[in-house]
Amino acid sequence: MTTKSKITITRRTLLAGASGTLIASRAWAQQPAEVKVGLLVPISGLYARPGTVMREGAEMAVDHINAQGGVKALGGAKLKLVVLDSGDTTEKAKNAAQRMVAQETDLVAASGAYLSSFTLAVTEVTERASLPVLTLSYSDLITERGFKYVFQTAATAGSQARQALPQIIKLAETASGKRPKTVAILTDNTGASIASAKAMREGLLAENQLQLIVDETFTPPLADATSLVQKIRSAKPDLLFFLPTVISDAKLLLEKMNEFGLGQGKIPTISFGIAIAEPDMLQTVSPELLQGVLTCVASWGAKGHEALIAELKTRYKEPWMTQNAISTYGDMWVIKDALEKAGKADRVAVGEALRTMDAGPSKYYPLGEIKFDEKGRRVGAGMTIVQWQAGVPVTVFPPALALAQPFWPKN
Amino acid sequence: MLRMRSFLPPLLFTIAYAVVSLGVTNSYYQLILTLVPVWAVFGLSWNLLSGYTGLISFGHAAFFGIGAYATALGQIYFDISPWLLIPVAAMLGGIAGLLIGFPTFRLQGHYFALAMLAYPLAILYVFEWLGFQEVTLPIKRDAPIAYMQFADPRLYTLLGLAIMLATIVLTQVIERSRFGMALLAIKQNEAAAEAAGIDTLAWKLRAITLSGAIAAAIGGFYAQVLLVVTPASVFGMLVSAQALTVVMFGGVGTVWGPVIGSVILIPLAEILHAEAGARIPGIQGVIFGLAIVCVILLAPEGLFWKLRDLLRKRDVSKATVNDAPEATAAKVTTLKPGSQQRAATGEVVLEVRNLSRSFGGLKAVQDVSFKLHKNEILGIIGPNGAGKTTLFNLLNGFLKPNQGEVLIDGRNMSGQRPHTICEAGIGRTFQVMRPFLRMSILDNVVVGAYVRARSDGEARKLAADAVARVGLSAVADRVAGELSTKELRLMELARAIAGQPRILLLDETLAGLGHGEADEVVAVIQQLARDGMTIAIIEHTMQAMVRLVDRFLVLDHGAVITEGLPEVVTRDSRVIEAYLGKKWAGHAAN
Repeated sequence: MTTKSKITITRRTLLAGASGTLIASRAWAQQPAEVKVGLLVPISGLYARPGTVMREGAEMAVDHINAQGGVKALGGAKLKLVVLDSGDTTEKAKNAAQRMVAQETDLVAASGAYLSSFTLAVTEVTERASLPVLTLSYSDLITERGFKYVFQTAATAGSQARQALPQIIKLAETASGKRPKTVAILTDNTGASIASAKAMREGLLAENQLQLIVDETFTPPLADATSLVQKIRSAKPDLLFFLPTVISDAKLLLEKMNEFGLGQGKIPTISFGIAIAEPDMLQTVSPELLQGVLTCVASWGAKGHEALIAELKTRYKEPWMTQNAISTYGDMWVIKDALEKAGKADRVAVGEALRTMDAGPSKYYPLGEIKFDEKGRRVGAGMTIVQWQAGVPVTVFPPALALAQPFWPKN
Repeated sequence: MLRMRSFLPPLLFTIAYAVVSLGVTNSYYQLILTLVPVWAVFGLSWNLLSGYTGLISFGHAAFFGIGAYATALGQIYFDISPWLLIPVAAMLGGIAGLLIGFPTFRLQGHYFALAMLAYPLAILYVFEWLGFQEVTLPIKRDAPIAYMQFADPRLYTLLGLAIMLATIVLTQVIERSRFGMALLAIKQNEAAAEAAGIDTLAWKLRAITLSGAIAAAIGGFYAQVLLVVTPASVFGMLVSAQALTVVMFGGVGTVWGPVIGSVILIPLAEILHAEAGARIPGIQGVIFGLAIVCVILLAPEGLFWKLRDLLRKRDVSKATVNDAPEATAAKVTTLKPGSQQRAATGEVVLEVRNLSRSFGGLKAVQDVSFKLHKNEILGIIGPNGAGKTTLFNLLNGFLKPNQGEVLIDGRNMSGQRPHTICEAGIGRTFQVMRPFLRMSILDNVVVGAYVRARSDGEARKLAADAVARVGLSAVADRVAGELSTKELRLMELARAIAGQPRILLLDETLAGLGHGEADEVVAVIQQLARDGMTIAIIEHTMQAMVRLVDRFLVLDHGAVITEGLPEVVTRDSRVIEAYLGKKWAGHAAN
């Protein structure tokens, strides 16, 4: 009995081995080979939602690239997306990065990792493994470490605030006829919010002749926004800069503003970051409350992306295209371009190609070019201002990308 | 010799682990191999405080994070090598332990646990406020080794292992010393530990200082492995929980618990994350959580103890055939009537003057005065609620009197801490027994010996001596969990006399014993008195007491009713009235 089973096992292994060789040899014969691209984003835990949207953007891009004939310099090689879950902690993200470089040795480049603290940890690993990583995380720190294999496609946090402020003032001036003078800042204490608020406090407000009259920092999640809103009501600023990261905080404050009679444009509210324009907002906040709220984001579905926005809607049931989808979509195209330039599926060569590439005006990121400076920051990277209009956050700035005209909420 | 042998298993384990890790070239697996000792050491540091003292800390991330930030910020701002910063981090962690421990040890049980929870959360916000949301370690391309930045990830594992081995050995040394015994005694019953002469606050502070230092050191090393430090990744709830998880899973209060927990759970979590998480995102957390829930349900004290109990049970079932129930108290002399000639002759060793204590409106002890003479056995009796145990608590320092004095050898000791009074020569037992069930009789008794012993060896000798005096030598190596009530009572007695007190306070030592059993314990107590011990005993059961004591002190409603020789006191109508009510006092008189 035992001997018999032994024989069958051997036979089976032999068979398996033989078929394996067959498949392998066929794959060998099948030119061109696949080129693997990594996507390391949170698809479980607290940040699963944005991570999932990033994956959708990447999948769409890979399908489009492959449908258009793959990487031509590699004989039409198809891109293959390898998705890794960065989880919801810095440690998990770092472990996932280590797994990526150790086990997916044939990756040529990757995109990731949503939260800037994850990206910081992930790029510590990928830098040592010479794996190029494109990221939409916009913490200035990411490209201040002298790394050679990290490429920041979005404008950095400090730069975004610098670009946004004059535009917002101009908008307010043209719409309401008077220039805003006083502002309030309400920010949570997460990394990106702090960076934006810091840039405003330390010079940007003064440069734009704005006076800071309320400055409050809170720790998410908020339990109650009453005291914050009371401060705003008594100070009556011309503008409110509101920087939440957690959707529930955005909801809580907007509702409380409305309750106190400050909502729906009584005090124009400008946010930074994506939280206030996430589709999930509509599940808890009514569109009327959101009407007119502006937010400054790194990137957004804009003019020229109409077909993509429609495809995302039908394919994944996403109501609109956030920065996570469009940026990651763009990342795949940049990697494809770099592969064309490098002419070989090799991570070091792709890294070199990214550093030296000059692919002209950017199509999927706002403004600027597909070209990186010595720090790895995209040259001329702009940002977008998005406004809630009739239940949809649409791009209203820059004009070249605007899908709708901005309006200034009237009292 | 015995000590060297106990170091062998951890050494062998470390070497085996090192050999395995040297063979792993995949940098991802190597990272997991590095994280196992990291969390094992963190678990060990938690175990040192919470596992041994039973004071659960939900906030060990406080120390871990302080270490991590000290190591990271020291490199960024002062360009100091982590080789130096990790010891510095350990010092800071130790100081933090002291600062946190001092106020927090005023709390006990759940209150302590919850208060500890607050520290890392509070510190987390401080670091966020300071603007350290994301801190990355600078790459040192020119001097990587000097800055602990190894190109070969195996070196991290080896370094982690070295720290783990050092922590295991340290824990083992502590476990077997006076330090470990003190902590175990605190876990079992803090009050009893104080009564046994242990300065519980001092030992707890030592434990949290050491624990904080270890946690901070490994936190510093962890920062070196992770390369990025964020408040959530080192001060977060999950970090504190990680320590609890590995220890609860592996086994609380043993050096192997955190190691077992870490070796199983850390790779399991990663494998689940990598394999299952790729298919169904989030499922890894569900499986991991369920696995922990199952283990906690099946082995509430952790895998180590469950396995040990299983092994022991098998050994015992093999062994019991040979050494069937043995006569434990064989050597004890049979009961003799109390020898009254001792009474009231010797010098006064303990004098109580006008002692009073009230709880709100209730006067638990009022104006009690009596003298205890050398070598006598004084029985303190009275109905339930008469204030007997409160009187004992006043005598040994658990309670401070509102009024009055307790003179030991003429010195007023009222209001002193229990361990000080114990050092002055008062030992006591408790109405409710609190044995260390997993420890042998001898080890149980050693705890009480440290108040007199200078070295561990001396303590063992005193303990062996005490065990012999109560007649338990034959079963000294048995685990307390297997003993009968009588043997436990005798063991408690041995623990009290191991500290060589001159005065022994026995609180209902005969409670719950059968007739024959009580006689055996009474014989032991008489023998102690013959050997020069002065004894005060509280008891309900009159029968045994009448034959045991030299003199009675009768309390009712907190006050002394009468005092005198047994035969006189038992016929006193006031005593009968106190016990049985007025109606029976008349009957008894006839």
